[in-house]
Amino acid sequence: MWAILWKDLLLELRTKERVSSLLVLALLIILVFVFALTPEQLHQPAFGSALLWVALVFAGMLSIQRAFILEQERNCFAGLLLCPIDPGQVFFAKFLSNVCFLAIVEAVVAPLTLALLGLPFSVSLLGLPLVLLCGIVGFSALGTLCAAIAVRTRAREIILPLMLLPLLVPLFIAAVNVTGALLAGEVWTGTWFRILIAFDVIFVVTGWLAFGFVVQE
Amino acid sequence: MKTVTTHSGLVDSFLPWLTCVAMLAALAMVFLYVPNERVQGEVQRIFYFHLPSAWMAFLGFFIVAGASAAFLWQGKRSADLLARAAAELGMVFCSLVLLTGPLWARPIWGVWWTWDPRLTMTLVLWLIYAAYVLLRVFAGDTETVARYAAVLGIVGVIDIPLIYISIRLWRGIHPKVEQMAPEMAWTLLVCTGAFVCVFTWLLRLRVRSLHLHDEIRALRQHVVAAS
Amino acid sequence: MPYLFAAFSVVWIVIFLYALSISRRQQELSREVETLRRMTEEKTNTESS
Repeated sequence: MWAILWKDLLLELRTKERVSSLLVLALLIILVFVFALTPEQLHQPAFGSALLWVALVFAGMLSIQRAFILEQERNCFAGLLLCPIDPGQVFFAKFLSNVCFLAIVEAVVAPLTLALLGLPFSVSLLGLPLVLLCGIVGFSALGTLCAAIAVRTRAREIILPLMLLPLLVPLFIAAVNVTGALLAGEVWTGTWFRILIAFDVIFVVTGWLAFGFVVQE
Repeated sequence: MKTVTTHSGLVDSFLPWLTCVAMLAALAMVFLYVPNERVQGEVQRIFYFHLPSAWMAFLGFFIVAGASAAFLWQGKRSADLLARAAAELGMVFCSLVLLTGPLWARPIWGVWWTWDPRLTMTLVLWLIYAAYVLLRVFAGDTETVARYAAVLGIVGVIDIPLIYISIRLWRGIHPKVEQMAPEMAWTLLVCTGAFVCVFTWLLRLRVRSLHLHDEIRALRQHVVAAS
Repeated sequence: MPYLFAAFSVVWIVIFLYALSISRRQQELSREVETLRRMTEEKTNTESS
């Protein structure tokens, strides 16, 4: 498992193509929204959090897809499955590498977004990274599972968002609300945060258990 | 080679008639028997078809999940076909909810759509169904795809409680506890019965047609291999 | 009243369309059965002759 994870990270370290392209994409999404909204709307914490998550979800979807398309193109998946390892471990490797990439991207995009929208940094030094990480974990868990399904169908680019987005609804609502409360300087560790954690736990476990059914030939 | 399941021919010959009778009874009760609701007037009669549709959509979802689990567990082709048929029907009934909902909301609330928790929930449910059905369409009809779809079906049902909780919290709770007159309760019961009949009938038809499709494919391979 | 009418028509139309789609697929299947039957008949004919 660590070997696969290491391989993914090493590949990225050498080429840096995924993280860099994601970074630019996330910024572009934010830019599009900034242009679409009026200046008054932009300064509300609720919009800041919505923007952050919209950018994360769309950039993240492409990232996850990329991970599996690479494996599929070079037919590495078959080789990976021939190895005498548990599919659950393959899942964890893929899932963790995605969490890493998205975390790196968010580490740059989140402060930039706050700065661009003129939202305060001070309230969220500890909370924001934690919430972002929780969101990324849940997203990557479900995303890895769905992408493994989508990549081996026709029209894989369109089927992944179709599957993933409705299933992500609870994560999205919870994350946006927690982040919104956080940015507004309110209490954020309430019910929404618990829903976010529950989503993470449920789908990490589900992904781990179900991955075997998806990858077996 | 597998043969078409004929173990319940009695049900199959009986069900269409039962459905017709139940549907006629339901229509008669909705339009002739049940009194007008005091506040909303006659438009409220949509409710007797709206709510059973929603229940059937949920039923479809649980059949999909159950059959998917059974398929992953035992690998039986018939479980997979059942899940597939139930997903299609669930989507049909979900569409009915989404179509009759606005037609009821418009005269009562003055808008076609509100982000009421139940409406939102139905919409999300519809989208998950749509993804499931499209996955089947895009990915073809192989053993692997059947497994993918089964995983999606189960993940969907695991997600439902989370979706429900988050959507309820998102827009606050609309308490809609209302005392129902006995006539209304009876009408609702008969309508639900009629919808269960329609659902079961269409489900059986669809499952049978899927089995037939399988069988024809096997036959074709057989013939081609022989010639 | 028009809304009531519309709602009930919609229910019937959707169910009818779905039933129609099932029956269309059923027809395709019977056509296929027909071709298969012809294929097998031709085969047995050529074998017997």
